[in-house]
Amino acid sequence: MNLTLGTMLLAVVSALACSLPGVYVVLRRNSMLVDAISHAVLPGIVVGYFFTHNLDSPLLILGAVLSGLVVVLGSELLVRTGLVAGDAPQGLVFPALFSIGVIMVSLNFANVHLDTHAVLVGDLNLAAFRQLQVAGTEVGPAYLYMMLAMLAFNIVFLVLFHNRLKLSTFDAAFASSVGLRTGLLNTAFMFLVSLTVTATFNAAGAILVIALVVVPPATAYLFSRRLDVMIGGTVAVAIAGSVGGFWLSYALDAATSAGMAVFYGVLFTAVFLATRLARSIGRRRATRKLGAQVERRMPATTD
Amino acid sequence: MNGTEPRQQIACRARNLSVAYGGDPVLRAVDLEVPAGVVMGIVGPNGAGKSTLIKAMLGLVTPLTGHSEFFGLPFAKARKRVGYMPQSTTVDWDFPTTVLDVVTMGTYASLGWLRRPGAGQRDQAVQALEQVGMAQLAARQIGELSGGQRQRVFLARALVQAPELYFMDEPFQGIDAKSQQAIVQVLHRLRQTGRTVVIVHHDLATVADYCDQVTLLNRSVVASGPVARVFTRPNIRTAYEVASSEMEFLEFAP
Amino acid sequence: MSPLEFLADHTYRTVFIGVSIIGLVSGALGSFAYLRKQSLISDVISHAALPGTLLAFLAAATVWQGDGRNMLGLIIGAVLIGTLAVGYANQISRGSKIRIDTAMAIALTVFFGAGMLLMRIIANGPFPGKGGIQDYLFGNASVMTRADVVTSALVGGAALAIMLLFFKEFVLRTFDAHYATVLGYRAATVDTLLFTVIVIATVIGVKAVGLVLMVAFLITPPAAARQWTRSMPAMVALSAVIGAVGSCLGAYLSIAFVPVPTGPLIVLTLFAIFVLSLLAAPGRSVVLRAVKHARARRLLMRELDTVAVEGRAS
Repeated sequence: MNLTLGTMLLAVVSALACSLPGVYVVLRRNSMLVDAISHAVLPGIVVGYFFTHNLDSPLLILGAVLSGLVVVLGSELLVRTGLVAGDAPQGLVFPALFSIGVIMVSLNFANVHLDTHAVLVGDLNLAAFRQLQVAGTEVGPAYLYMMLAMLAFNIVFLVLFHNRLKLSTFDAAFASSVGLRTGLLNTAFMFLVSLTVTATFNAAGAILVIALVVVPPATAYLFSRRLDVMIGGTVAVAIAGSVGGFWLSYALDAATSAGMAVFYGVLFTAVFLATRLARSIGRRRATRKLGAQVERRMPATTD
Repeated sequence: MNGTEPRQQIACRARNLSVAYGGDPVLRAVDLEVPAGVVMGIVGPNGAGKSTLIKAMLGLVTPLTGHSEFFGLPFAKARKRVGYMPQSTTVDWDFPTTVLDVVTMGTYASLGWLRRPGAGQRDQAVQALEQVGMAQLAARQIGELSGGQRQRVFLARALVQAPELYFMDEPFQGIDAKSQQAIVQVLHRLRQTGRTVVIVHHDLATVADYCDQVTLLNRSVVASGPVARVFTRPNIRTAYEVASSEMEFLEFAP
Repeated sequence: MSPLEFLADHTYRTVFIGVSIIGLVSGALGSFAYLRKQSLISDVISHAALPGTLLAFLAAATVWQGDGRNMLGLIIGAVLIGTLAVGYANQISRGSKIRIDTAMAIALTVFFGAGMLLMRIIANGPFPGKGGIQDYLFGNASVMTRADVVTSALVGGAALAIMLLFFKEFVLRTFDAHYATVLGYRAATVDTLLFTVIVIATVIGVKAVGLVLMVAFLITPPAAARQWTRSMPAMVALSAVIGAVGSCLGAYLSIAFVPVPTGPLIVLTLFAIFVLSLLAAPGRSVVLRAVKHARARRLLMRELDTVAVEGRAS
């Protein structure tokens, strides 16, 4: 497979794998939690490396996912004390965890040679470099196949849990009254998000992975009145944005993930402005109609 | 409790149920029996623990002492026979979902893992919407409805589950006259078909119209039983902690 | 190294004074973001500071042919773009059904992405004094110069002065937004002022602490101070003190004992102060409260069980 094509496919598949769970992330008001999770995985990676001494080990990923979950559960614990207000709990936990990670790296704990900035920023082109060889021929980036597996896993999970996620997101009180274990479901879902974020790391890095998770569903949410439409719209925006972003960064000779984030932002802003415009036109038309009706009914009041 | 009335089948009962939030008791040793086929009103002042009583019975808050049973079974085993219409404060009104879709969610509990709601479930949902007079708004997004219309949609969602016992938490709270009428009609129809309804209610003036039995609650049960026997001035006065001079407050009591 | 030796060293003293100014200003002003339940806005601001400082760098290097890393220029660029990012996020959540958390996430990642693209453009160009991305991500307290410290003190002092001047309006708007509007304080004016000072408090720390961890400087001190105080002036004052003391302590530890970066160690020190506050603050202590509740529940349970037994017996 041609390197450019392979890299672009990787961009598309990563965007899809992230944005599908992103639909529920946006609806469950967990968008900033993705930011917290993506930073908190650093100490998990370092500790995982201490045990495995292999940056590609599945144990390493497990460590990262678990330390992502520490943010979720830790901030829930803080919320439950009732002593910390608003969105502060996440903001308290993730910098602390991230600091632990940075300190461990700088003390050369576990002799891990990890560029912390690579964890934050990622590099899709580098990630796509290593080719998978089957029977002596190169069949595309090895990482592409890993992200395909991640995408498949996410699709299976979301199909299986679709009804439950929908019910508990829409009306948690009703969901638990029909016997849904909403707390457990939330933890399972956050595990999935954490896993996805970790898997996408090499391609997008901690800060830009948020763009892949949040922006396509948020764009689709703007024009959706039904969940199926929102999911379909998310897929469309994810694909369009990743292809467009890929070429934008290709033209600027910049990191693909950055180009994707910016291109997604442009798409989102365009749809946002379009929906606002449509709404204000609709409102003006309604006002005019109402005004005409009132005038017809009360012609005598003119003086 | 008393031998004068004929022994009726009990739809649900709570025994010595107490709930504390933090260290403060909200419900103290509540005993409650709801006979099958009646509309039971739970009535009491603000902060009396009316919603908490329902939530504790349905296992949504963990009781400190006591237990509840439904048709002689613990809630987990009787879940399918019980419907709940919560006070819709936890609902996400911007959720991308239509009225019909919300009502169809009532069938999710019986669907299991992989089955999607199909034509059968949709027909049930349309029927339930017709019962509450909302069929013509089925395609609306849920947030585009008025408060009373939303309440009717949630009643329809409970109807779709076709339970034998309904719990409704303040269904008449802040709604328009038309919606109120529609909900009352459903209430009467449920009673005619032998269903049991437990309803948290705060309007003393309409208690006698809607309910067969009433439980006066103020952290513990003041009195419980048929409206004619229980809904008396002295009982209401005790439950609402008002002096006997404030008589206009009690004008609707027999 | 003893604290005295530490303070005698010129570089260390600069770091010490620098981080305590950052801690003081961000602690005081973070209180308002905290009480508005929009603490994470500072994370958006610090990430948007990347394109802001880079634009300022480009402008300084190309238009004025000056030093691209001039602290005041970087602060101005970061404040402008940071305010833009805050406005963007607030506009999205006000103008659509998208909630503020999603709006903030979008602003954060999009502005940071734009910063990365700018970074690339700068890296390809012939500019003197351009830094790498890690300088912005993690900052570096030890490269702070005297001039940097003076600039931070002046800009931070200005932000604090604005806060003191409009204290009444800020408190009113934070506590009861609609009431403030009814009293005639225009919401847009108060908000713009308030968010501008929060932006200043965030960006003055980015060079020393980095954009990733700056959020902790604005969230942790207020969250700790809230446990001990009951009034707004007290909370702001204590939060400022916690911010300053925590930063000094963290900086001292990082230099004196272990060779680790200053920013993360300050964050952990602040976090430790926060946890201590949760456990020990009178009236709100998690431990004492749990013990008290457990005892009350046990007593209640015993009483109610007796009632039940008696009721059944009669």
